[in-house]
Amino acid sequence: MNNETLVCVPGQRLSIADKSHLSGRGTYERLGYIYATLAGVVKVVKQDKASLIEVRSSNEQSIVPAPGDIVTAKITLVKQRFCKCIIKCIGDTVLSRPYRGMLRKEDVRATEKDKVEMIKCFRPGDIILARVLPMTEVHSYQLSTAEDELGVVLADSEEGMSMVPVSWTEMQCPKTHIKELRKVAKVLPERLSTV
Amino acid sequence: MPSDNRRIQGPEVSSPYCLFQSGNKNVDVHSGRSEVLSSRKDSRKFMEHRKIYLKTGVVSQAKGSAYVEFDNTKVICSVFDPREIPNRIEYSQHGELFCVFKFAPFSCLTRRAHQQDAQEKELSLCLKRALEPAVCRHEFPNFQVDIYVMVLENDGGSLAAAITCAGLALADAHVPMYDLVTAASLGVTGDKLLMDPVEEEESLCQNPNKENQNHGLITVALMGAHTQVTQMWQTGSMTAACVSDALTHLVQICEETYPIAQRCLVKSVVDTISKKAQ
Amino acid sequence: MAAQYKSIHPVKYYRDFLAQDVRPDGRTPDKTRTVTVNANSISTSDGSATVRIGNTTVICGIKAELGKPKADEPESGFVVPNVELPPLCSPCFRPGPPSEEAQVMTCFVAKATSGMVDLKQLGISLDNLAWVLHIDMICLDYDGCVQDACVIALSTALRTVKLPKVDYDEDTKTPTVHLNQRTSVDVKSSPVSTSFAVFDEEIILSDPTAEEESLSSARLTVVTDGKSIFSVHKPGGSTLTEVQLQDCISIAKERANLVNEMIRVAVGSVKR
Repeated sequence: MNNETLVCVPGQRLSIADKSHLSGRGTYERLGYIYATLAGVVKVVKQDKASLIEVRSSNEQSIVPAPGDIVTAKITLVKQRFCKCIIKCIGDTVLSRPYRGMLRKEDVRATEKDKVEMIKCFRPGDIILARVLPMTEVHSYQLSTAEDELGVVLADSEEGMSMVPVSWTEMQCPKTHIKELRKVAKVLPERLSTV
Repeated sequence: MPSDNRRIQGPEVSSPYCLFQSGNKNVDVHSGRSEVLSSRKDSRKFMEHRKIYLKTGVVSQAKGSAYVEFDNTKVICSVFDPREIPNRIEYSQHGELFCVFKFAPFSCLTRRAHQQDAQEKELSLCLKRALEPAVCRHEFPNFQVDIYVMVLENDGGSLAAAITCAGLALADAHVPMYDLVTAASLGVTGDKLLMDPVEEEESLCQNPNKENQNHGLITVALMGAHTQVTQMWQTGSMTAACVSDALTHLVQICEETYPIAQRCLVKSVVDTISKKAQ
Repeated sequence: MAAQYKSIHPVKYYRDFLAQDVRPDGRTPDKTRTVTVNANSISTSDGSATVRIGNTTVICGIKAELGKPKADEPESGFVVPNVELPPLCSPCFRPGPPSEEAQVMTCFVAKATSGMVDLKQLGISLDNLAWVLHIDMICLDYDGCVQDACVIALSTALRTVKLPKVDYDEDTKTPTVHLNQRTSVDVKSSPVSTSFAVFDEEIILSDPTAEEESLSSARLTVVTDGKSIFSVHKPGGSTLTEVQLQDCISIAKERANLVNEMIRVAVGSVKR
């Protein structure tokens, strides 16, 4: 590590809090000063006039899904009106304890919502990208895939092979060439190369 | 005793052998008092804390963990990712801490039962109260963070060790916190104050003496950066002047422990960064 | 990205590694993890040991108490081994009574170590008084092969036990304990258990981690002292060939010798 890395621990005073120093993620403000809430590295993000003081934790932070986050989830159960899944990652952060999520029929596509059939969109075991909706129920997160980039990214065919997307609604098994129906996500190239 | 068919059971009644030792039977608790008044067995000064050893990241499966030694008192703690609060109907604005404090069966002079007893329940609550003010609970609404503490060996001050340990484990788990928490305990007997009493001194301080003077134990948890006491737990009876005197000493010791905890945490952060760089 | 991939497709992640004949932690499939043994670490117990196998940590403490012998075995004492998997060792466990896994493990460890102590030497007075050895093994870090660590910890802790001399007065029915005259317990055998996991029905992984255990299709545990075999436990799952089983046994034997030597050194350093 280089000498410019500033390590901090919770409760450590980082800087004065004024118009040019703003309290960002991983910090809090008390009596005119900015303090850290996490053990990690201090990052100063320059904005137009002020600098935002942030603390990035050295490891994965203990986070819970928040509305608006993009999550990676695995489908566990498909019903006519909804499907259930477990959330594995939030953004790039892998969760060590998965959370339950639910995707309702009306949140699958942005258009033609009434024509959606769950079984033609998801199968148990599929890996999806989805966005977290504001919480309405206590026990599970509401998800949505009503965007082009969201939907199934990884799916196995009935043969157990990893399928290749061929259109917005279909994926193909490389072995049997059988096409299966899915709500396919338009995957960004850099994601495809590694997974 | 209710039978426990989930464990292997010994005979219904068994008693510790210390009860039947030859010679000095029925040791008088008060006999040790005069000794303590002059000097302490481990040749510490009255206001001296035992040596502290801290280590984070001891449990690989946990999100965060810490191990604390106050000489012979050994405590391990692990913290897990927030999870949904079970059996909860309404939405709670603040996250909750769920603390379990347990003595290992072999950690005390007499064997402990496997089930959590009343004392352990009480200590669990103390631990929770001491940590709650330090955690940014608004950052994980409707979730609870599990904190499990196990005392491997108890030689006095296990609550203080547990609070320090759990505070460190929370920070190691990257749970957002306003500050680190450190704690210390102090025993009072007569006009003597004993910082960080060992087990023997603790039991001495808990017994009222003949003249019914001041006696008891105080445990204080402190957030060092702002010098805020998160919890003070006092048992026994003592004058108000004695309590405030004790508090001054305890706060001072907690402040001395604080940089040790900070250093330990900085080391673990530096270690993870350099490991990632490789 | 590797972490995400692992979380989403753990089996494929492992297959990719094992195709190169290496495990994600850098070991070859047949390599076991480093074992460390620390004897007599807890002074409030009558005998104790801490054992680490890789990340897996088990602490074993023995508390000796006095009790009345069973009516059908009036000259014998008791050994009460219990494995505890507290919630602090892994997110898989909840507080409360022992999980099924803990009960199964207790049973396994009790059986594997049953021949170590002659219960008759724990008797003090016929039909009146006998030693009760409460052996508690607590897992502090659950990263696979906890049962192996338990057996090693128990074996080490048992060798550090020093029981005080007890005189029993038949007339007054009271025992007298001489705390400064202590003797060790005679330990007859030294079993060491070694576990294996079968991955994808054909690859055998020695000394698997918790993750490897959870992905495995079958498990196998061999208990041996280096010469003779005490128990071979393979609870269902995918099948093994005879050759594979023989390979496992020879790995287990080799490791048993190594571990027993470590136990001897650890116990020796305590007695001094």
